[in-house]
Amino acid sequence: MSNTLRPYLSAVRSSLTAALCLENFASQIVEKHNVPEVEAGNTKEVLLKPLIVSRNENEQVLIEGSINSVRVSIRIKQADDIERILAHKFTRFLMMRAENFVILRRVPIKGYDISFLVTNFHTEQMYKHKLVDFIIEFMEEVDKEISEMKLSLNARARIVAETYLSQFV
Amino acid sequence: MILLEPNSYVLEETLLARFNSEKPEVVDITLVDFDNVIYHVQTSAEQRTLLNLSVEMKYFNEVCAYGAESILQREYGDYLVPVANSQYQITLQFNLEQLPADKAGLAKHVSMLKRNVLASPFIRAFEYWESQQEGAGPLMATHYRENEAIYVQAQQDRVTVIFSTLFQEEVDRVLGKVFLQEFVDARRQAAIQNAPQVFYSSREAPLEIRHLPGLRQDESVGYVSFVLFPRHFADAEVREKTISQIQLFRDYLHYHIKCAKAYMHSRMRTRVKEFLKVINRAKPDRTTAASEKRTASGRYFRPQFRQSSATSPQQVEGEW
Repeated sequence: MSNTLRPYLSAVRSSLTAALCLENFASQIVEKHNVPEVEAGNTKEVLLKPLIVSRNENEQVLIEGSINSVRVSIRIKQADDIERILAHKFTRFLMMRAENFVILRRVPIKGYDISFLVTNFHTEQMYKHKLVDFIIEFMEEVDKEISEMKLSLNARARIVAETYLSQFV
Repeated sequence: MILLEPNSYVLEETLLARFNSEKPEVVDITLVDFDNVIYHVQTSAEQRTLLNLSVEMKYFNEVCAYGAESILQREYGDYLVPVANSQYQITLQFNLEQLPADKAGLAKHVSMLKRNVLASPFIRAFEYWESQQEGAGPLMATHYRENEAIYVQAQQDRVTVIFSTLFQEEVDRVLGKVFLQEFVDARRQAAIQNAPQVFYSSREAPLEIRHLPGLRQDESVGYVSFVLFPRHFADAEVREKTISQIQLFRDYLHYHIKCAKAYMHSRMRTRVKEFLKVINRAKPDRTTAASEKRTASGRYFRPQFRQSSATSPQQVEGEW
């Protein structure tokens, strides 16, 4: 792990652990409704100030907290066309399977590549620290996966080109 | 299986099966090949022992101008018959009772039909080079697919082959760029110094064909030029090999772009599986042996959970 990645991830981890202090909160506006307040945004007094943890301008995490839900959005590093396409394909692939990932949001919020929504029901039924672990591991792996895919693509292209051209010799 | 074969394997198989069958059966099969070539294998309506092979080749009229007719006549003269249906450009007829002894050889030879027809502009260019004329030869275009073409031009000391190829998707375009860049760079290696020189440009057409009307010049199109030197076509054997290889360039490139995409897809699948395992670790294990309770009738008692936790980790994994 590189030098700047470690403090970045540990900052995300501690902010996330602090933000995941959730309790059940029924809607004050509609009776018998219980919605994630951070998504609804109708009750201003239960929303917390959003927080951005940033490694650089291309890699950021936005944590929006509220009384009963937390929304975590991640911006993944995309240095060139290939990384952009790989990141896009990969996040789309995950989000199409969002119901298996319980806390994954189907659509990322604007300006970010992937979003998670953790509600108080999730923290009640699952281990909170393991949920944080998942998000951190996701952030670690996704960069690694994209750079590995890029390398393997280049290696494949080289082998393909060499095999084709070596026939002419 | 990195390289593609110049012949159509499925056509070879189909023909060989008909040639070898004891009793002539009625067949009516349509096969496809690269570059939108369609083969139609059909038993003759009047006589069961006659097998017709009709070929639909959109660019046949173009290559006729470069001497494709004479190649056909030379290679398949014994079987060539006039075309019956206007949909097809070439028809070969085989009498199943009067086949030569080497049936496998014949099937193989016929399966090279598309390659032999498309070879005509290349042969023409090599002949022009042999004649040692001054200046550049004619620019021969073959529109082998819609909006895509091969241009062949002989010069005094070399033959230039230019492919225009179309990338339909944004992803293909980016991957294609990576692959083509490697084609350009590969020649730096000592082992393949003798390979033809490759140039690549997207958007801008090379100088040789820039004067042609109706060229697409946008992001989705790529132009690849190969410069063949006399050592690639000096003797007959090398020449045939070069023609077979260079024709398949477009198919080879696109085939490998698709392979790369498929590989990435399978990789993402594995990665998603790993992530699922990680998230499932967050779910407390509720079915330990100690917590299992039975009702009086001997059934297991399971407390009711909410919807999201009702699917156990094992079940979720099973769906994958």
